[in-house]
Amino acid sequence: MAVRRPPEVDEDAGLRLVALGVVTVLLFVVLLGRLWQLQIIHGQEYLQQSEENRLRDLRIPAPRGVLYDRRGRALVSNRAAFTISVLSMELRDPDRVLPRLAQILGMSEAEIRERLRQGRSRPFEPVRLRRDAPPAVVAMVEENRLDLPGVIVEVEPVRHYLGGGLAAHAIGYLGEISQAELAQPAWRGYRMGDLIGKAGVERVYDRILRGRDGRLRVEVDSRGRALRVLRREPWIPGRSMVLTIDRDVQEAAEAGLAQEGKPGAVVALDVATGEVLALASFPAFDPNLFAAGISARDWQRISRDPAHPLLNRAVDTAYEPGSVFKVVTAAAALARGTATRATRIRCPGAFRLGGWVWRDLRAHGTVDFTTGVALSCNVFFYTLGHRTGGEAMSQMARALGLGERTEIDLPSETAGLIPDDAWKRRHVGEPWFPGDSVNMSIGQGWVNVTAVQVARMMAAIANGGTLVRPHLAREVLGSDGTAVQRFRPAPAGRVEMAPEALATLRDSLRAVVERGTGRRVRLPSVSAAGKTGSAENPRGKPHAWFAVYAPADRPTVAVAVVIEHGFRGGLAAAPIARRVLAAALRIPLPDEEAAPAPRLPAGARGGRP
Amino acid sequence: MTPGGPRAGAEGRGAPRAVSTLALAPPVRDGPRWRDLDLVLVATTAALIAFGFVVLASATAGAGDPRTYLRARALHLGLGVVALALTARVGYHRLCALWRWLYLLTLALLVAVMVVGDVRLGAQRWINLGPLGAFQPSELAKVTLILTLARHLDGRRPPETLWGVAPYLLHVGILVLLIVQQPDMGTGMVLVAIAAGMLFLAGVRLRVLAGLAGLGLMGFPFLWSFLHDYQRRRLLVFLNPDIDPLGAGYALNQAKIAVGSGQLWGKGLFAGTQNLLRFIPEQHTDFIFTVVGEELGFVGAAVLLALFLVWLWRALAIAAAAPDRLGRLVAGGVAVMVLFHVVVNVGMTVGLMPITGIPLPFLSYGGSALLSLCTATGLLLNIGMGRRRLLR
Repeated sequence: MAVRRPPEVDEDAGLRLVALGVVTVLLFVVLLGRLWQLQIIHGQEYLQQSEENRLRDLRIPAPRGVLYDRRGRALVSNRAAFTISVLSMELRDPDRVLPRLAQILGMSEAEIRERLRQGRSRPFEPVRLRRDAPPAVVAMVEENRLDLPGVIVEVEPVRHYLGGGLAAHAIGYLGEISQAELAQPAWRGYRMGDLIGKAGVERVYDRILRGRDGRLRVEVDSRGRALRVLRREPWIPGRSMVLTIDRDVQEAAEAGLAQEGKPGAVVALDVATGEVLALASFPAFDPNLFAAGISARDWQRISRDPAHPLLNRAVDTAYEPGSVFKVVTAAAALARGTATRATRIRCPGAFRLGGWVWRDLRAHGTVDFTTGVALSCNVFFYTLGHRTGGEAMSQMARALGLGERTEIDLPSETAGLIPDDAWKRRHVGEPWFPGDSVNMSIGQGWVNVTAVQVARMMAAIANGGTLVRPHLAREVLGSDGTAVQRFRPAPAGRVEMAPEALATLRDSLRAVVERGTGRRVRLPSVSAAGKTGSAENPRGKPHAWFAVYAPADRPTVAVAVVIEHGFRGGLAAAPIARRVLAAALRIPLPDEEAAPAPRLPAGARGGRP
Repeated sequence: MTPGGPRAGAEGRGAPRAVSTLALAPPVRDGPRWRDLDLVLVATTAALIAFGFVVLASATAGAGDPRTYLRARALHLGLGVVALALTARVGYHRLCALWRWLYLLTLALLVAVMVVGDVRLGAQRWINLGPLGAFQPSELAKVTLILTLARHLDGRRPPETLWGVAPYLLHVGILVLLIVQQPDMGTGMVLVAIAAGMLFLAGVRLRVLAGLAGLGLMGFPFLWSFLHDYQRRRLLVFLNPDIDPLGAGYALNQAKIAVGSGQLWGKGLFAGTQNLLRFIPEQHTDFIFTVVGEELGFVGAAVLLALFLVWLWRALAIAAAAPDRLGRLVAGGVAVMVLFHVVVNVGMTVGLMPITGIPLPFLSYGGSALLSLCTATGLLLNIGMGRRRLLR
């Protein structure tokens, strides 16, 4: 065999073997270098990764604190619910699993993929796809367990709003923390997927209510099957809170608004402390829809509703006050001495200034101070406004807390507007004319106020001049149910009025209820003092206002009611104020028995102990 | 430091004619002499097999019944030792004389796989032999290629043109095509590497080899269109492991975590969490090196690589001192085969190479692979014994 070989063929064969040997050694050097890099240089990092591989830190969400009304009745608690989640690391075959899962959950595959993408920064945490899954869905996931590796079912506490939409705008609702919120310092320590308060008390007191999640450290195999629990750290439930809300008063307010059927708001305050007894905005929504993450369909329905149910009309919407502002005009005139109890003004049905004419509904003849207020005589107030001047009225309005935020403990609030000369020059480009004072005297022009401001103004008149700070939080409860923290915010200021002036104003407001435009608020056994308002607005019928406090001689509660396009405050708003006063003062209302059942959202009246 | 380097050099430059003269003498036909056995190679092979046995025990410790694997491994070893002894006794000359039959038998088996083969993990690579387990003809094809190509190249002038290489390309191409369609890209690549190495050692000019490589590169887009989706994904994942961290990139990432976490001394035998908790797919076969890296650390991995290096040094030394060109080509082919296996397998577990399913010699679980390796080692020993006798 060797004989057939031509001798010259293999001359460089040895050289080629040497080359092969050199290549071999070089390749081994490369392999060894790579091993050095992986094991010695980056070994610690890989060791940590291998630990993360086998350890699962599962979060056990802590239940949020319960919210009680001022009488200890639960308004919001928690219930157990099933959450369907995906553990990304165990999702080996997404193309097979995700379509199946999407079908079961009724979600689009793209939506699931997007959520998984968002959760990729924490590959060992479950990505929650469907909170509060109905039993049928949970059963389907369990039945298809073998086809759905990486999909898990967790039990989580879910917020339960016992009254349905009751006090929805005060209490708020939950939602998953957004990327933008995560970036804010206020939400430091929160994590992707956390449910946080998105509105109302739930948002403002989120840190008190949320508690601390528990942890379970489990060793798992590559398929995510738990082998043993290495550490267990129990959750600490969120602290419960007592709100200032009185559920009876709240229900009365909402029933009244629902019966009227037009968008509007009610605020009832304790005149001495500023505690909010009721804060209602109509239409409302059911926060339970948000408790476990709102469905796209529900969100569309709520966010696209032309009535804007999510809008808090009690604090986030400023309206022209109309005649309710006459309280300010009267107070300013009395304080400045441009009018006294003895002032008498003739009302021919119109007020003339230069070439301009301001009309009244009718000619009231000569009216004294109390009657002028009681009948809401426009000419009477045009005259007072003209005499007193815009600057004095603006000052009094601000002293009574109008046109500025009340600092109520809600996440957003609008300031409204009290115009003055400087404001007009800046925004309109003209100086303040006497005609502007005439307009302002009856709450027209640029004046804009919120219901909570009006309620506080009435509280200030009722309590002798203290500008209280409205608030919804009353106490934080410790684990044994006793108060560990009480909320008593300091007053925002004082209105200085001579006692005689204050008495005149109060008597006049009492006359409004006893013989004037506010008679519909009269209660069987308690006197009240208030002021109606119909605020002309260019967009439709006037907004109806009623602001009142009671009892007139020893006031405890102040109420403001506004009904959009309600036309006459005495007709649309006063009956609601009456119901609220009755509930707050515990006065039975016999004629209420005939009232039609209030149209509240489903379940709104449930949960009464 | 180059295995067999100085000796090969001496032969190549210093005394070529002397070797030729010796080789011209008629071969002695009294069979191999066992006292001339290359004991270093035998010892290294035994060490590698023992090393593999221990690592396999750890790799399968988490499985349902680990003893199943070890028992099967012992059976494979028994068969392997018989194959090794037989090959060493029969000798490469006689086996090469049967080259036509060997080639046809291999083709027949590869075709048979297409018809009656078991489908596992989406590939049709195995013929079920009942209680003996499954036989993988593509493993046999490696040894067949070494023997038949050596015979094909022997006694002929090395081709000087691309056209001249064509018959050898056809020789290897038929086998490669049959294997790649299974699909078994990894073994196909091993055959290509063996062929390239043997053509190089047979003296084919470098520019012809470079031309072949160029043709291969130009053919890549064509090849790409024939790849399965998973194969394309593996290649893309190799270029960027982050594109699919839960899919094709998973094995690669987990393998790197396992090896890296072993650090200097390893987590200890039977104490690798990546191994025991089964984070790496196929860890007792293609990914067995991750167990070495995790449990025995850099030190263990370096010892293993050193064993391979010694083995390859002996293989190349035997090639260098082979009594004839046929023996040199066979020994060189065996060396290239094992080198390619080690570099690609270890390279893939440490992220230097795309993931291709080729086993780590003597360590990966698999009977056919062990059998073909033992056969190849038998060939080496046989060539080595021939050398000693002639040099005496």
